[in-house]
Amino acid sequence: MGSNIYSASLSGMNAAQFALSTTQHNIANANTPGYSRQTMLVDSRAAQATGAGFVGQGVNVTGVVRNYDQFLTTQVRQEQTQASYLSTYLTSMKQIDNMVADPAAGVSPAIQNFFNATNSLASNPESIPARQTVLSTAEATVNRFQAMDQRLTDISNSLTTQIASSVQTVNTYATQIATLNNSIKSAIATAQGQQPNDLLDQRDQLVNLLNKEIKVSTQQQTDGSMSVFVGNGQALVVGDQAMALQVVQNPADPSKVDVAYLNNGKSVTMQQSSLQGGNLGAHLTFRDQSLEPARNALGRVALGLATSINQQNQMGLDLNGVLGGNIFKDVLPRVDKGLNNAGAGVLTATISNMAAVTTSDYQLKFDGANYTMTRMADNQVTNLGTAASVMPLTQVVDGVSVVIPAGMFAGDSFLIRPVANAARDMAVLTTDPTKLATAAPMISTTATTNTGTGVITAGSVNTPLPLNANLQVPVTITFTSATSYTVTGAVPAVAGAVAYTAGTPITYNGWTATITGTPAAGDVFNVKSNTTATGDNRNALLMAALQTKNLLASSGGVGANATTNLQGAYSQFVGSIGAKTQELMVTSTAQDAMVTQTVATQQSVAGVNLDEEAANLLRYQRAYQAAAKAMQIANTMFDSLLTLGR
Amino acid sequence: MRISSNTIFDNNVATLGAQQARLVQTQQQIASGRRLLTAASDPVAATRALDVTQADAINTQQTANRGTVKDPLSISESTLASVTLLLQDVRTAAVSAGNATLTNADRATIGKNLNGRLQELIGLANSTDGSGNALYAGFQSKTTPFVASTSGVVSYQGDDGQRLVQVAPGRQIAANDSGADVFMRIKDGNGTFATQALATNTGGGIIGTGSVLNPAALTGNAYSVSFAVAAGATTYSVTNTTTGLAVAGMTAQPYTSGQSISFDGLQFNMQGAPANGDSFTVKPSANQSVFKTLSDLITTLSTPLSGANVSNGLASGIVNVDNALSNVLNMRSSIGARLNEIDSLQASGDSIGVQLKQSLSALQDTDYNKAISDLNQQQTTLQAAQKSFAQVSNLSMFTYM
Repeated sequence: MGSNIYSASLSGMNAAQFALSTTQHNIANANTPGYSRQTMLVDSRAAQATGAGFVGQGVNVTGVVRNYDQFLTTQVRQEQTQASYLSTYLTSMKQIDNMVADPAAGVSPAIQNFFNATNSLASNPESIPARQTVLSTAEATVNRFQAMDQRLTDISNSLTTQIASSVQTVNTYATQIATLNNSIKSAIATAQGQQPNDLLDQRDQLVNLLNKEIKVSTQQQTDGSMSVFVGNGQALVVGDQAMALQVVQNPADPSKVDVAYLNNGKSVTMQQSSLQGGNLGAHLTFRDQSLEPARNALGRVALGLATSINQQNQMGLDLNGVLGGNIFKDVLPRVDKGLNNAGAGVLTATISNMAAVTTSDYQLKFDGANYTMTRMADNQVTNLGTAASVMPLTQVVDGVSVVIPAGMFAGDSFLIRPVANAARDMAVLTTDPTKLATAAPMISTTATTNTGTGVITAGSVNTPLPLNANLQVPVTITFTSATSYTVTGAVPAVAGAVAYTAGTPITYNGWTATITGTPAAGDVFNVKSNTTATGDNRNALLMAALQTKNLLASSGGVGANATTNLQGAYSQFVGSIGAKTQELMVTSTAQDAMVTQTVATQQSVAGVNLDEEAANLLRYQRAYQAAAKAMQIANTMFDSLLTLGR
Repeated sequence: MRISSNTIFDNNVATLGAQQARLVQTQQQIASGRRLLTAASDPVAATRALDVTQADAINTQQTANRGTVKDPLSISESTLASVTLLLQDVRTAAVSAGNATLTNADRATIGKNLNGRLQELIGLANSTDGSGNALYAGFQSKTTPFVASTSGVVSYQGDDGQRLVQVAPGRQIAANDSGADVFMRIKDGNGTFATQALATNTGGGIIGTGSVLNPAALTGNAYSVSFAVAAGATTYSVTNTTTGLAVAGMTAQPYTSGQSISFDGLQFNMQGAPANGDSFTVKPSANQSVFKTLSDLITTLSTPLSGANVSNGLASGIVNVDNALSNVLNMRSSIGARLNEIDSLQASGDSIGVQLKQSLSALQDTDYNKAISDLNQQQTTLQAAQKSFAQVSNLSMFTYM
């Protein structure tokens, strides 16, 4: 009987000791990331059957478990991967947002200065300083565009580094998880099925960290190991085996990197769409959906400015009386030949209609039967030809003219980025201020000997380019009566009399002028070249008017009905960056709140509450003291027994 | 719900961080004076601000444009004022030269004087603006527009170009007028037809300037009115020299001094006694430059003439000087109208500028009342959070053990 009390008391003391050390462990790990509160499991010992009934024999410690809820942990992971995706995306986005934040430092004031200078030139076309100012402000505008583009390039470059380091981190975590899987497996085997709680916590914590880099899903295996999957179910960790992710060159665009999954020595590129979530997903999404569209949007403003000024300058005469040329370097689309192209052909692309150009990139592909061009922003596919078409073939899609080379093999592709390099490659071609074409190439005059009241307008050059080759051929309009006239000098020649209606535009040789009033028979109007007109500002006026003219983003992509001017296109660029950043700020804050809430719920199960542990300390101390007291009583009982025999 | 001790700390750190971030943003808004710290603060307003900035820049530029129009117009206006005075002097001299008491020599002296005025007029017509650009050369601003040949004929070297300047959205104003319009394209006679006595006339017939009776009946042809004196009776006949035919009903009509002669919708007055064989021409008005008008007048004055030839010559000269004067006055009123318009555009441009700056300020500038009130509120909340956290975190059972 006495020994029974001894052993029962001892079991109580042992259990209390166990419990105290578990409590102490909880207190010690209160701040350990990923630690789950541990609780001791006890069972009462099987009672001893006596004639008087069952007598208890004490307590058995059956195990130590962690307070862990699989469902809550999974939920935290889901929210966490989204939160780190959003916050990383936001951090990257803020870099561009800050870049366009200062209205005084953006492209906008530079463009305004350029057009202010053009306006002054229109007021003083013969002034060399006014011309020089136009060129200087053009140069300043180019610098501003390039600085902005360079900043985007810097961000893009650092992104490549970040993607690589993110992939590196993923691989490190994968290896660590695989190692832990191994340890856990053997620990469970050694401990005859008891769970190695702290190792499990460590592994969960590693999965949590991995999950912040890349969205993962997990599966618990019966042997205690955990399989980790990424993307569309690609296994990253299986048992004690860790696979690796790789950074590879994008096959369509050599300047970009992709993430590939290494499987049996073969790397398979992972689609960006399968890498949603986590830092890695954020880097890729930011690059493809925000950074590159932003660069294209900026490039399109550069294209609009350079091309419209070039075209207008070509429509005028410079101070030397020569037809104007390009002020800015022509914008050329960037074309990348697919890395895996079997054909040797090279595709050339040019901008044929500035207004129709979009901010999207395009992929031209030959699948063996059809040549298709895909607008990558919305996956709109245009059929450009079939295998039977004779190559090289010139086709125009959204204002970009492409010459499809001969000898493309099935699967060959080209990436066409119409405005990706427009801002970077912008340059002012001329340093000679006289090359600015302020004058119109032709001038119309009313002969002073005319007796009628007819007056001819100064006239303008017909758009669009190219100029009529006979633009400067002298044309004489001679009235044979008040209602008809003959024309000499027009190409092709005009035979016979032409009926005259006051105010109707008269167009020959690529110019248009209007005669109003009532000319008398014999009245003569001359249209001739304008080579010495130093004070002519007609072309400069048109150039200055480009500031508010709608030049870009034609509706329907056909080139007519441009919907926005340069400033508008730039505002859209800034607005879309601002809107995306704001959207991310809001969703990221909301997601952070979601994480806080889910973590709190998860922690309410797994977290350590120090007050609770303090109470437990006292409780188990008391339990220990009580068990010891029981032993003391058993001892006293034994002593009493011994004294009986004295 | 169980609360894990870490949750208390983590939540507090997150909350304090968020509150501090808001406080810093408000402080930045106050310090920089900008509500829109980045485009993300308010993307719509940021876009609008860019558009308004451009509108403001254009408005400012057009203010400058108005200035650049004003200068040449003002110079042109004062030049044309001198031209007006000069032509008025010429007219006075021409009228005084008609005084019957003057001799050929007296008229020649006046003619010499007028020659000086002609040179002065050419000088005025070749005026330049402050930068050496010809005022009246159209687009040929580096060309001297009016050049006298060795024979004294002044020809125009410029063109009809008018330099337009954008002075307001959708409004362009001409900064100059072509010399052709100011000095060359001046209709002679009465603007529809011009009458003239032949230099070979010997009688005392003086022809009037005439007027249009019936515009619909005008033919635009040239006519000759010839007089015949037979047996003391003077008759006249009108021939259409363009067609070579006699005008119907106008052959050998009896003439009395002071009567009106009218045919084909036109009418003019005849005075005095033409000699037999004297002839007058009536032809459609043609453009005659003010220089030709002056040199014709000088020729008339310096040629020894008598009687009706002097009157006829001076009369047509004075009519043409009048025409030139009214043309210059038209130009001046057109310039005046443009200057007026610029002044009123200036006023509206200024008020538009103020409006644009106001809306820009509303879009991007800090509302200090709101910002400072926000700052105080955020500061109070942050302090409360800090204080309460300090108290809550002090609560631990271990302190009682």
